[in-house]
Amino acid sequence: MTVGGLLVSLPFIWMVLSSFKTEREVLSIPPTLFPQDPTIEHYVHLFQNLNFDVYLINTLIIVACSMIGLFLNTMAGYGFGKFQFKGKEAWFIVVLLTMMLPGQVTMIPTYLLLNEMGLTNTMSGIILPGLIAAFNIFLIRQFMVTIPDDLIEAARLDGAGEFYIFTRIIIPLSMPILAVQVILTFIGAWNSFLWPLIVANDEALYTLSVGLALLQDQNVTNYGLQMAGSTFMVLPILIIFTIFQKYIIEGFNVSGIK
Amino acid sequence: MKSKWTPFLFIGPAVLLLIIFSFVPILIAFGISFTDTNLIGLANWSKINVIAFDNYADLFSDKKFLESIGNTIFYVIIGVPLAVGSSFMIAFFLNLIGSWLASTFRVIYYVPSVTNIVAIAVVWGFLYNQEYGLFNYLLSLVDIDKVPWLEDPLVAKLSLILLAVWKSNGVSMLIFLAALQAIPRVYYEAADIDGANRWQKLIKITIPSMSFATFFVTVTTLIGWLQFFEEPFVMTDGGPLNGTNSIALFIYQEGFQYNEFGYGAAASFILFAIIIVATLVQFKFRKSDQTL
Amino acid sequence: MLTTKKLMLALMFGFILFVAACSDDSTTEGGSSDENTITVWTMSKALKDFVPQYEEEAGVNVDVQVIPWDNAHDKLLTAVASGEGPDVLQIGTTWVAEFAEASTFLDLTEYLDDYDNLADDNFYESAIGTTKYKEQTIGIPWYVDTRALFYRTDILADVGYPEGPATWDEMINASRQLAARGDEQYAIDLPTTDPQFPFILAWEQGWNYEIGNGADNFQSKGFKEAIELHHLFYEEELSQTGEGKEFFQAFSDGSKPMFISGPWDIGMIKERAPDIEGKWDVRLMPSAENNKSMMGGAHLSIFHNSEKVDKSLDFINWMADPETQVEWYKANSELPANLSAWEDPALADDEMVSTFGEQLKSTQPLPLIPEYERLGQEILTSLEEINRGGADIDQALEEFQTKAAEILDR
Repeated sequence: MTVGGLLVSLPFIWMVLSSFKTEREVLSIPPTLFPQDPTIEHYVHLFQNLNFDVYLINTLIIVACSMIGLFLNTMAGYGFGKFQFKGKEAWFIVVLLTMMLPGQVTMIPTYLLLNEMGLTNTMSGIILPGLIAAFNIFLIRQFMVTIPDDLIEAARLDGAGEFYIFTRIIIPLSMPILAVQVILTFIGAWNSFLWPLIVANDEALYTLSVGLALLQDQNVTNYGLQMAGSTFMVLPILIIFTIFQKYIIEGFNVSGIK
Repeated sequence: MKSKWTPFLFIGPAVLLLIIFSFVPILIAFGISFTDTNLIGLANWSKINVIAFDNYADLFSDKKFLESIGNTIFYVIIGVPLAVGSSFMIAFFLNLIGSWLASTFRVIYYVPSVTNIVAIAVVWGFLYNQEYGLFNYLLSLVDIDKVPWLEDPLVAKLSLILLAVWKSNGVSMLIFLAALQAIPRVYYEAADIDGANRWQKLIKITIPSMSFATFFVTVTTLIGWLQFFEEPFVMTDGGPLNGTNSIALFIYQEGFQYNEFGYGAAASFILFAIIIVATLVQFKFRKSDQTL
Repeated sequence: MLTTKKLMLALMFGFILFVAACSDDSTTEGGSSDENTITVWTMSKALKDFVPQYEEEAGVNVDVQVIPWDNAHDKLLTAVASGEGPDVLQIGTTWVAEFAEASTFLDLTEYLDDYDNLADDNFYESAIGTTKYKEQTIGIPWYVDTRALFYRTDILADVGYPEGPATWDEMINASRQLAARGDEQYAIDLPTTDPQFPFILAWEQGWNYEIGNGADNFQSKGFKEAIELHHLFYEEELSQTGEGKEFFQAFSDGSKPMFISGPWDIGMIKERAPDIEGKWDVRLMPSAENNKSMMGGAHLSIFHNSEKVDKSLDFINWMADPETQVEWYKANSELPANLSAWEDPALADDEMVSTFGEQLKSTQPLPLIPEYERLGQEILTSLEEINRGGADIDQALEEFQTKAAEILDR
């Protein structure tokens, strides 16, 4: 298992170590694992050439909004998982259908819609298309089976409001899967690339990922720089991951419910 | 408190946004698939002609498209069971071992899914290099001939599958881990009293109790593999000899490299139809599964 | 219930940001609403720090938006579809035809005489060739690029060509000797993914693409000769079919002592293979009937519905000025399209760069048809079938001709 683990994470380790290698060394064959001549030039280049303040704020706004999206997704997943209502199957099929077409195909139609709504070149135009994801709704819906119906009925008998039940009972009980969702949503938002680029007609709306892509040359791939950029981008993800993975395995906290 | 409107309050906001920003564009794209829209048509809509089913008819005589369907089916048949199986195994074993060790391994197994795709392409490109790659070097130590990892149409498909399974395990593993937590401990305690061994517990309790998660992972993995794109895009660009081209990559080439949006859209709705059929089949299977 | 509270707090915070972000929209309107500002889309990041000088001289604000190369095509597509573009945009020579066909650009023909630096004869002839589409002038050349032969002087001297092979016959002769040096020794790394390369080979065989002739162009003798020449390098293993070693490493250890590439690789070799300094050089393409290479680079164009045509033209005029062109070369190493800029010592005194300047005079614009890229990719596919799949040349060519006819008819 240890060997397997090492093998699995090798490209990642290589990515991090390569960010400290000179451009010459990155692609040499046979490859080196540890930099022979460690350098931080790529990081220096990164920090000097990136409009960090603007890009970081934009990225954080997108991340914050994506968490609202996560909340809406969770609500919808609960709605589909724990209620019986007319047209439920039909609506759920509509949700699922949106997963089934490759994203590139709908890029231009979505852009034209945003344009009709006057949302191009706005932050809302960047955020809205990706706010809701069928994947997340479906995932939550699947996990709702693990929550006993009796629990919800008992709360209703106690006179609890529906939204109260959702926030005070359902969400705490769904912690493991919500933790997974938070991690996935964070990564998606943190790496947002295509929409900020397509929708923005002003670099003031660019994100960190777009900023990093700008550092690449047309004809020459600067691998060391790219590795430094990815390493930098992956750090917050790993921090979020280590924080939230605890909740994945913490499991039911039933004692918290009255 | 609970009225017939309550469920709609829960699903309303999400479904509304999804319809506007995902479903309507799909309908538009569906319309485009019956036209000859290209870049000229996009700039001036009056130049778009409705050509009914011509795009679809052309696709079925397009050798490259048919090859990409074949390749995609190959990817799915081998890749999906492998991806679901291996991520389940990893989650299962991680759940058994001690806590601090497990949290380290969770990070390790998760890391491929957040590694930059260019780094992946470079490292795997080296591993697979026929002349100088690590894999062939290791094989040469035990006197096995050089394997043309990315240079032969069939082997290249398998190589890409291996890479994709490695990359996709992380997310499915997390979902399985979360699902393992949802199995009430009392089940295992009862089984212990009955003297069940580990294997029996796995078969009788763990796997059935996780069917809701397995179902999710299988459906989404299947959809993901039917839309297989990134790996051939960065590693082989569909080659050698179109041997690794997938439907999604074909759509990308037609729609965005050659600006044939109508043709590309038509191809994507054939993929759409395949995905719907595959998903429906799974939903049917699940209905007969009484454990859920 | 601490975690729930935390979550709710986080959500509240997020929601406030969300509202803030949405209400912030008014301030991020495109810069084009300002009368004195022109917007420029470019893929060259260096342009941002380059324009302040112009802004000062002209008293006009230039709002530069940099777009990554890989996604510039997508970005242009959405601009064309919605009619929401910039005032000035950079366009690569290979994208001219497809976007011009979609009427993306303003026809500049009637303005050319009104500005000092825009006249056709200021520029390389084939660069001008790629700005003329169906009797319109769709842009003004900004910078140019082409392909030439990089070679190891020491290794080529060993096989009798210290100056590098001047003709394709010499090239074949040298290559056979080089490949005979032993296992894993090759002669040259031919570009395998570049759709322009087969065209270069064909031009050198005296072939040219005549727009009126459509798919019949590919029936001619010169085209077949080019395919055969290409095949020879793989058949005799003068070039490696597989991925092999890293490019610069193979060049510096001598296992692939020649390659065909663009001017950017001068700097790259200096940087990545410093130990072979003085042992390599650049020369003009080997010739058959001629030694024509391709004309690449980029133009500056005006988006069809720009409301600031005069200001945009003034900016382009400044960019085309010989002095600015030299400055741009110094800032970003991209070669001037303006001929008189080449007299500046910064270029004239650099031998390798001057070689590219020389090669640029013997260039051919790519076929200016929207189907160009697709045709190029199809040729590469056919070449792969011949070189790797062992297909018969005549048969593969015939299949390609059918395909080309289909593509051009569509």
